[in-house]
Amino acid sequence: MPSISGIAYKNLRRKRIRSILTVFGIALSTWVLVSLFGFNRGYEASLNSDIDNLGFQVLLTAKGCPYEAATLMLQGSKSLRYMPEAVMDSLYQNEAVDKLTPMLMQTVFDVNKGEEGGMVGYLGIDPATYPSMKPYLTFSSGEWFKDREAKEAVLGYEVAELEQREVGDLMLIPEKEVEVLVVGILKRSGTQDDGTIFMPYKALQTIFDVQGQLTSVGIKVKQGADINAYEEELYSIHDVQVVSMAQVKNTISNLVSTAKVMVMSIAIIAILIAMVGVMNTILMSVLERYQEIGIMKSMGATTFHIFRLIWFETIILCAIGGVIGSLFSIVMARLTEALIRYVLPYAPSGSLIMIDFRLVLESIGIITLIGLLSGIYPAFRAARIKPIEAIRSSEGEL
Amino acid sequence: MKARFLLLLILLLPLFIHAATGCDLNDPDADVKRLFPQSTGYKTTYMSLTKTGGAEALKRVERTLGDKFSGTYETIDVPYSIYIVHKGKDIIGYVHGVNQKGQYGGLQVFLALDNNGVIKDFYFQKLSSKDAKLFKDKKFTAQFKGLSLADFSTYDLATGKGNTKMNSIKNPSKDPKGDFAAIMRAVKKNLALMQEFVYKH
Repeated sequence: MPSISGIAYKNLRRKRIRSILTVFGIALSTWVLVSLFGFNRGYEASLNSDIDNLGFQVLLTAKGCPYEAATLMLQGSKSLRYMPEAVMDSLYQNEAVDKLTPMLMQTVFDVNKGEEGGMVGYLGIDPATYPSMKPYLTFSSGEWFKDREAKEAVLGYEVAELEQREVGDLMLIPEKEVEVLVVGILKRSGTQDDGTIFMPYKALQTIFDVQGQLTSVGIKVKQGADINAYEEELYSIHDVQVVSMAQVKNTISNLVSTAKVMVMSIAIIAILIAMVGVMNTILMSVLERYQEIGIMKSMGATTFHIFRLIWFETIILCAIGGVIGSLFSIVMARLTEALIRYVLPYAPSGSLIMIDFRLVLESIGIITLIGLLSGIYPAFRAARIKPIEAIRSSEGEL
Repeated sequence: MKARFLLLLILLLPLFIHAATGCDLNDPDADVKRLFPQSTGYKTTYMSLTKTGGAEALKRVERTLGDKFSGTYETIDVPYSIYIVHKGKDIIGYVHGVNQKGQYGGLQVFLALDNNGVIKDFYFQKLSSKDAKLFKDKKFTAQFKGLSLADFSTYDLATGKGNTKMNSIKNPSKDPKGDFAAIMRAVKKNLALMQEFVYKH
């Protein structure tokens, strides 16, 4: 006795091209669904990872219009606004502080880079305090500079590769014509540190003639300390701006939530399109088999048998389409990510599309559920066919 | 909130803003047109020594160069971009660049070559040197026009001597430790690689 699923499968094979096209449509919807869900997870996770990799929970910067600062930075000015190094003294006095690290960012214009020149940036750090804030930074060769005044540099992985530098080589700071000794090359970290030239901040102050000045201070608070209360205290310091990573994360979470809503809307539209397509295909199939269904009922098939038969056909189409679409989204994930990076003005480091086994299973489940829902109406109509009318009539009616 | 977010973007931008690793032209549309003014288009192809023979290919190139490839950055899998320059349907030449370790940083030396491997033009895309102005001057780069691998094959990288044409190339820098030797190596390496990737066939 043939099974209902076997008959359903054979029916689909009879109209091969139509079945393939329907499966293809479902696969495309699944691809969109999985990619969008994967992007939702990947973007937020990568952004949080980038923020966490900054190493500190609070960042103090010089007060000023951040838009002006961004414009100056991006168009090649020397630095952000400065704040006095003496501000560190008041920060140390607070009991909530676990670690502090001063930073000085400087940029120069290198006229010999490319046809029109380009920017080179240097991050001045304190070798005594900065490395402990970023324990994930490890060396492929050499080590951190020890002397805060030494004209020495540690290079991120990508910088070293571009400049073809090894430990013991020299670098030249353009405009200043100052030679700097490379003492360390970092391993690839997958963060913005790969593109950074680190130097002792005191040496950078001397070279750029900004003695006693900093552009930012990284602060790590003690475990259990009230970060919000501490930030309130920091606001009382003159001429500084407080950037709290916790608040930035919240801001980003809110933005990402908004983006998630948009992404979900697109996903729902994709699902609705798939539903309509499946319903249309199965209804057409029922119409074509009007007489055949009538004959089946006259031979003993019950209303429930017919319902199950048509419903099964829908589920098979959706399940196969779901699996193919999920596989497609995994295979195309890198290309999808490259496209997103090309389009977005800023994308965090790390993977933007995170597709795991659970996401794939959930998506196939959703698509199959859509199949179940889409198939109800065509199955219901097929089940209601009256055998005598169907056998008499040469074509179906709805 | 907007201010904090913007500051975060600044912090997360890489400080050292640079092109991709490997030696690609930063602006191939403009650069190819400048090097081949009569060109109507170009096609980019990517080659590496692993594609043309692996360890054997590396040995051939090192023999031609007269020097070993550095293990750290001159590895066998480095991708090389070759810009095939067209005028209409005809190929009129090639543009190819190499990275070379210089005194203070990486040099990126691009050569514009005709179909016979003769240098038509010379372009420093990157050069970290105290004498960069002297090296980028047309008086210096023009000395390379008309030379080919046949000329550079007579040039000994260790002694800095070669045939008459090679010996006539003047070093504009007074610094004996400067980048002149690195530039000569870069040009010879460029020609040796092009011989391996293009002209051998």
